[in-house]
Amino acid sequence: MFLLLPFNSLVVNLLGISITVLFTLLLVFIIVPAIFGVSFGIRKVYMKTLLKIFQWATLRIERGAKEKNHPLYKPYVNGIIAKEPTSLEEEIKEIRRSGSGKALDTPEFELSDIFYFCRKGIETIMDDEVTKRFSAEELESWNLLSRTNYNFQYISLRLTVLWGLGVLIRYCFLLPLRIALAFTGISLLVTGTTVVGYLPNGRCKEFLSKHVHLMCYRICVRALTAIITYHDRENRPRNGGICVANHTSPIDVIILASDGYYAMVGQIHGGLMGVIQRAMVKACPHVWFERSEVKDRHLVAKRLTEHVQDKSKLPILIFPEGTCINNTSVMMFKKGSFEIGATVYPVAIKYDPQFGDAFWNSSKYGMVTYLLRMMTSWAIVCSVWYMPPMTRQPEEDAVQFANRVKSAIARQGGLVDLLWDGGLKREKVKDTFKEEQQKLYSKMIVGNHEDRSRS
Amino acid sequence: PSSPRSFPPTVTSEQIEHLHRRFKQLSRDQLTIRKENFDSIPDLEFNPIRGKIVHAFFDKRNLRQESDGLADEINFEDFLTIMSYFRPIEMNMDEEQLDRFRKEKLKFLFHMYDSDHDGKITLQEYRNVVEELLSGNPHLEKESARSIADGAMMEAASICVGQMGPDQVYEGITFEDFLKMWQGIDIETKMHVRFLNMETIAHCY
Repeated sequence: MFLLLPFNSLVVNLLGISITVLFTLLLVFIIVPAIFGVSFGIRKVYMKTLLKIFQWATLRIERGAKEKNHPLYKPYVNGIIAKEPTSLEEEIKEIRRSGSGKALDTPEFELSDIFYFCRKGIETIMDDEVTKRFSAEELESWNLLSRTNYNFQYISLRLTVLWGLGVLIRYCFLLPLRIALAFTGISLLVTGTTVVGYLPNGRCKEFLSKHVHLMCYRICVRALTAIITYHDRENRPRNGGICVANHTSPIDVIILASDGYYAMVGQIHGGLMGVIQRAMVKACPHVWFERSEVKDRHLVAKRLTEHVQDKSKLPILIFPEGTCINNTSVMMFKKGSFEIGATVYPVAIKYDPQFGDAFWNSSKYGMVTYLLRMMTSWAIVCSVWYMPPMTRQPEEDAVQFANRVKSAIARQGGLVDLLWDGGLKREKVKDTFKEEQQKLYSKMIVGNHEDRSRS
Repeated sequence: PSSPRSFPPTVTSEQIEHLHRRFKQLSRDQLTIRKENFDSIPDLEFNPIRGKIVHAFFDKRNLRQESDGLADEINFEDFLTIMSYFRPIEMNMDEEQLDRFRKEKLKFLFHMYDSDHDGKITLQEYRNVVEELLSGNPHLEKESARSIADGAMMEAASICVGQMGPDQVYEGITFEDFLKMWQGIDIETKMHVRFLNMETIAHCY
């Protein structure tokens, strides 16, 4: 017992020192490049190594399935049923023709007319476009995260060991490192912007503010191990414009803001978020709204217009979908930002789900759970495309302009362009849509009847 | 999930897996679905007979249960039972099987019309369906919808009973009459939902 004591403290000391040294080295290797905006390329090497490991893991699972003679469950992204492409009219005509032979122009109802709607109804119950968009995109190869594996029973011993090692690395090494980085980044942001806020307005303040913002966002990018590829950087948004992007997660902000200096728009939150927001606005004019003001569309539009008209002010960053979508499609853009009349700089963000799924399903996970999931994934890999600016043409209205921008973003990012309103995730369909189908059918049946009754 | 009693063996386990995931999505990870869960399908709102379709899922006659009336909630097995009414025709069916297949599907449609479960589609029930289908048109008065329904009902009566005397009252369309009206319409080849070809990784036998 006596002998153990000094030995124990020696081991503990050594351990403590080595951990401190390790962490300091890592912080230096990561924070210093972040300050200067340089990169050693470590993350890219990390990414390539991971890809090789994933390929190996997938092959093992496939081999395991073959040995047991089972078909492998491959999640199917495009929907599970074949929807008939025929229209309402064609179908009903066909059924009537084969039945009583009555043509469609006689205003009568046939027993068989109910059939079309019945089948359509069952089809949508079995498989629905919209609800699919809101759950996380499904992968074709396994990325050693148990949260994405559907074929657990085919894992061999070697694979389990590898997965266990992965868990150890992610939770015991990467997670604390990332948390430390995030903490550093956020505190630097808050203190930096507060300090800069005390300076008198002028070129010096602007310069410092820009670099403080950029530096802290870069640190946060490294805190998530985000490997971002920027395309077409010559199209980056300029002063007096509005930057519009598709929305997958709160991380989008960090990704865009680490490469450019933007004015943020949003609602003031409480808690830590609120502290950060209040500090940021001291250094540069972001546009924050109180909760009550957000509902007032005219007030929002007025403040945004004022900001945009001042050419010295920064480009505004807006996510017009209004909610997070799972990065396989782009939903309806709310027209508010497109009514202001400024130049719109569209940006498409596409995440590679192999390394970690960035989609925030806010009805399933809270913010803290989400951030923890992000920090325990391997990495966040994404591509950002800056697209050439667009302005509203004289013959189109705000909605058409919004749709045009949306299509451009969808095409660039390889996402599906949907007409649906992202707000559907939580609300029910507006009643005007509901009437369309019914109107069409009744017009078919009754069209003539009206004319007859009038004469 | 346990395999349902009357499910044909030709539906693959993959398809059942998919349906199960869909079920879990609709039920929000609960074991049963209630009527309210169908509200989360936006596309269904478009459908004028939405109410009747949802109702059909809870109709005990469709669920092949002995008792009558409506169930409050259904589990995955019941869900599959309803889906089985829409399974496509198989190549190797003989005459008798085809006939039974067809009758099953028509029975499902019959139950949609016959809302009071008395085995007959009365004039009122018929009017009900027509009104629902035509309800989207704001210009259409209730009277017009009613007269269309009445006209169709009379037509149905003439097919089923032939000429009626002046004192005869047509009580309603029974299932046999219903079958007569669908003669010639290949419902068994149209009333189905096909699964897309699922890709499975090839395995050696």
